[in-house]
Amino acid sequence: MKKSYLLSLIIVFALVLSACGASNSGNKVNSSNNDGSKQNGEEVKISFIHWRGEDVAVLDGIVAKFESEYPNIKVETQVFPSDQYQATAQAKLVDGSVGDVFTSFPGAQFEAIAKAGLFTDLTSEEFVTNFTPGLIEAGQKDGVQYALPYQLVYNMPIYNVKLFEQHNVEVPTDWDSFLAAMETFKQAGITPIAFPGADIGPGQMMNTMVMNNATDEDIFVKLEAGEAKLTDEWWVKTLSQFKELSDKGYLQKDAVGTKTDAANALFIQEKAAILGTGSFQLAGNKAGNPELVQGLLAPITVSEDEVVFEGIHTTTFMLAVNSKSKHPEEAKLFLEYLSRADVAAEYANGTGQNVTVEGVQYTSDELKAVSEWTTKKTRFQPRFTISNAEVQKAITSSIQAVIGGTDPQKAAQDAQAIVDQQIGN
Amino acid sequence: MLKWLGRLLLISFAIIIIGPLLIVVFTMFKTTPQFYSDPIGLPTQLSWHNITALFDKQPMWTYFRNSVVVTLSTVLLVLLLAGSISYAIMRYGKQAIGGVIFSLFAIGLMVPSQVNMIPIYSLLQKLGWSNSHLGLILVSTSVLLPLSVFMLTGFMKTLPKEILEAGEIDGAGEWRLLLRIVFPLSAPYVATTAAFLFVIVWNDLLFPMLLLSGKDKLTLPLALLQFKGEFMTDYPLLMTGVLVTALPMIILFVFLQRYFISGSLAGSLKG
Amino acid sequence: MKKHLRLLPFVVPGLLLYAVLFLYPTVTALYYSFTNWDGMSPSYQYVGFDNYANVSKDIIFQKSLVNNMKFMLAVVVIQTIVSLMLALQIHKKSKVNVVLRALYFMPTILSSVSVGFIWSFIYDPTSGALNGLLTLIGLESWTQNWIGNTAIAIFSIAAVQAWAHIGQMTVLFVAGLQAIPPELVEAAKLDGASKVGLFFRITWPLLAPAAAIVVSYTTIQSFKAFDLVFTMTGGGPAYSTEIISTYIYNAAFMNYTFGKAATASVYFLVLISIITIVQFKLLKTDRVSY
Repeated sequence: MKKSYLLSLIIVFALVLSACGASNSGNKVNSSNNDGSKQNGEEVKISFIHWRGEDVAVLDGIVAKFESEYPNIKVETQVFPSDQYQATAQAKLVDGSVGDVFTSFPGAQFEAIAKAGLFTDLTSEEFVTNFTPGLIEAGQKDGVQYALPYQLVYNMPIYNVKLFEQHNVEVPTDWDSFLAAMETFKQAGITPIAFPGADIGPGQMMNTMVMNNATDEDIFVKLEAGEAKLTDEWWVKTLSQFKELSDKGYLQKDAVGTKTDAANALFIQEKAAILGTGSFQLAGNKAGNPELVQGLLAPITVSEDEVVFEGIHTTTFMLAVNSKSKHPEEAKLFLEYLSRADVAAEYANGTGQNVTVEGVQYTSDELKAVSEWTTKKTRFQPRFTISNAEVQKAITSSIQAVIGGTDPQKAAQDAQAIVDQQIGN
Repeated sequence: MLKWLGRLLLISFAIIIIGPLLIVVFTMFKTTPQFYSDPIGLPTQLSWHNITALFDKQPMWTYFRNSVVVTLSTVLLVLLLAGSISYAIMRYGKQAIGGVIFSLFAIGLMVPSQVNMIPIYSLLQKLGWSNSHLGLILVSTSVLLPLSVFMLTGFMKTLPKEILEAGEIDGAGEWRLLLRIVFPLSAPYVATTAAFLFVIVWNDLLFPMLLLSGKDKLTLPLALLQFKGEFMTDYPLLMTGVLVTALPMIILFVFLQRYFISGSLAGSLKG
Repeated sequence: MKKHLRLLPFVVPGLLLYAVLFLYPTVTALYYSFTNWDGMSPSYQYVGFDNYANVSKDIIFQKSLVNNMKFMLAVVVIQTIVSLMLALQIHKKSKVNVVLRALYFMPTILSSVSVGFIWSFIYDPTSGALNGLLTLIGLESWTQNWIGNTAIAIFSIAAVQAWAHIGQMTVLFVAGLQAIPPELVEAAKLDGASKVGLFFRITWPLLAPAAAIVVSYTTIQSFKAFDLVFTMTGGGPAYSTEIISTYIYNAAFMNYTFGKAATASVYFLVLISIITIVQFKLLKTDRVSY
């Protein structure tokens, strides 16, 4: 008797709850329909999606100011970490209700979204001129500006300036002096290079290690076209140099098992002289240890007279308008706002990231130290010239393999086998 | 001798469980610099700043309410539907149709979510249920029916047939058999299944992330994602979020554990 | 005949929901395995069985198959045996047992993503808890590069998967153990059965249905262990922890080859079905009746 009573209660409860859920959604569906028709002067809601969890506070502040300038536009931000972003962005963009303004990575993701026709053509928009012309090419395809890179990143290792000074080490200008510098630190009991071999290390350091070994800026494009091979001298040499660093003990122990946070921790605690990632990490390191003095350093893998490139830069976090958006004009207004020099400065100084917008004043030491690199000869990140994600993975895996002890020639062969399969399809 | 080995096993496993969980608790009390200088040690002070920060930055109570609504509705709906289906399969006995229905659901267990998540999303768009709790509840229910039918059918098949036959002879209809006999007998199994389902739905990340977009609709696990940046993860805040998200489940489980599996219920199985 | 009609209302509502929101999208997805759809574009082309051929020849897919089998075997063996042993210890009614069951169940409450985060730290070679502990108690030679060594990485993750789910399986086994009628156990003891004999003659056969559920659920769970692997290693280093679900994810969302992802899913389905059927046959669950 009691049990069936309980059961019916539960059934009723469940139905009531589901009904609550239904009525909530019913209201929502109605109001979003109304949003579509309320255009002129009525409140418009646009959705902004991106992956930078680190920047949420700063961007929220910027959004608030944008909303006070345009009282009839409300911006709803949703952030997903980059892996989830990749997975869910494509589904949500196609529908058009999410991501009126969205962000894209250069390279494979950009190509795929462009192919799916989800970018709005921004070429003729006035705010495009607010950006430094040479820095927005990553968002262009066949002469059309589809997306505007917002962040300027230097994918070069960070070094601890004070540690270098303490041990009388100068910034090395060729491979031999680089090895000598590493030896000095090793002898002094300091980890020469903190290398997150488990995640981003290979993908970041491969750029500086290969930039002078293969000076053709299209080398990876040629690789994907079958005109160059990983088993050629340029990549085998790069792999051998990675192996050399590992064999000589210049990377921390078991580097392939170390993830970004652990490597960062080593550098932040000043137990390592160099952190093998990129300028995006400068602000985070400083937050972890305000005493740090940091600079960027590119390992030069050749002799001084063979040097062509001094460093690596990337433009990423590309802002775009969804072609399926129901509020393209409002979306563009938001982009215009972000492209203003003072707003970009607020973003840059708040997040510690350099930006691609012209005329921005940087206030922090880190940002200023980085901005001096705009005068040097840097190459666009080779890794982002690879359009096939599996090819990219094969390449970074070969680095993991040699650090783990595999012979460079064999690692290159294994990787090339995968590349052949990928490009043959 | 065997008894001591058994005790040793229990204690060692308890340590293996508690150890990592302690690290989570420790991290909750640290600031970011403290965390990086000493990831696994004791915190230097019992500071609650992470908890206040968590509730400041995110509408945690909204997320909590949403999680409760979605989880309760889904679990109840699943138990209702799966319970009925499993009952039917068990009653079909050796008839082919029972096996067919069971296989239909069992197959669903083997489908990885990456594959049908995009078509499910598109379908929900067309039905007009995107960004709604109703849509999420219905999808979560469908996705969990395979597991529930699988488990409940397995359990129901162990019930003594004589009791059901006796009920039939007495002239009871299917509904009565289910409510008066089968349900009470399978109470611990239903409770076990419910426990599994609660945890799965409460922690579900994929479908809420995909199917919900308004901040007022998000569930608790989605709050955790906000702390994972592209390159920097705010570990103290993240671990705080992990604990806060797990807390309701822990409380529920400890409280209801007495009803899930206890010796007293086993007695009722004698029939 | 009448039975069919009587039981229909029990089956139809659930079946309908399932068919519309699950089966139909799944079939749609699998249909894409015959195309080269990238997951986003409005257009695509039919490629027949090309994907099936390419995926089976794909070096990465083959590695993922091998890794998945290693992972599954390790998880099933560890999880089943340990949870059974624990269940045998704590199935009787007592305050201590209730507390222990709750404690062991704790990791299951955490999401796999959280578990992955926590254990990534524990496994760190230089500053992680595990190596730190081993060094502390003088076992420094046992320290390993847990998730960086290509030979053991997959097993390190298997250990974490087992850690997170042993409590869950223990609960299942306890339910099964408590369902064994005490009179049978009494009768056997009166007949002079030894502890070992008791286990093999009475306990194990009656536990078979629960064991079958534990083993097959663990198997399926281990094949779908995407969150854990993804959070801890992303499939690396050098593909040593790449499993089928990460392959499918990468194919669908990193490489924009949804057709291949769908194809891999079909292979996945077939593989699991075969394994599950074999397991059921091996455990001979139908044989048991009161």
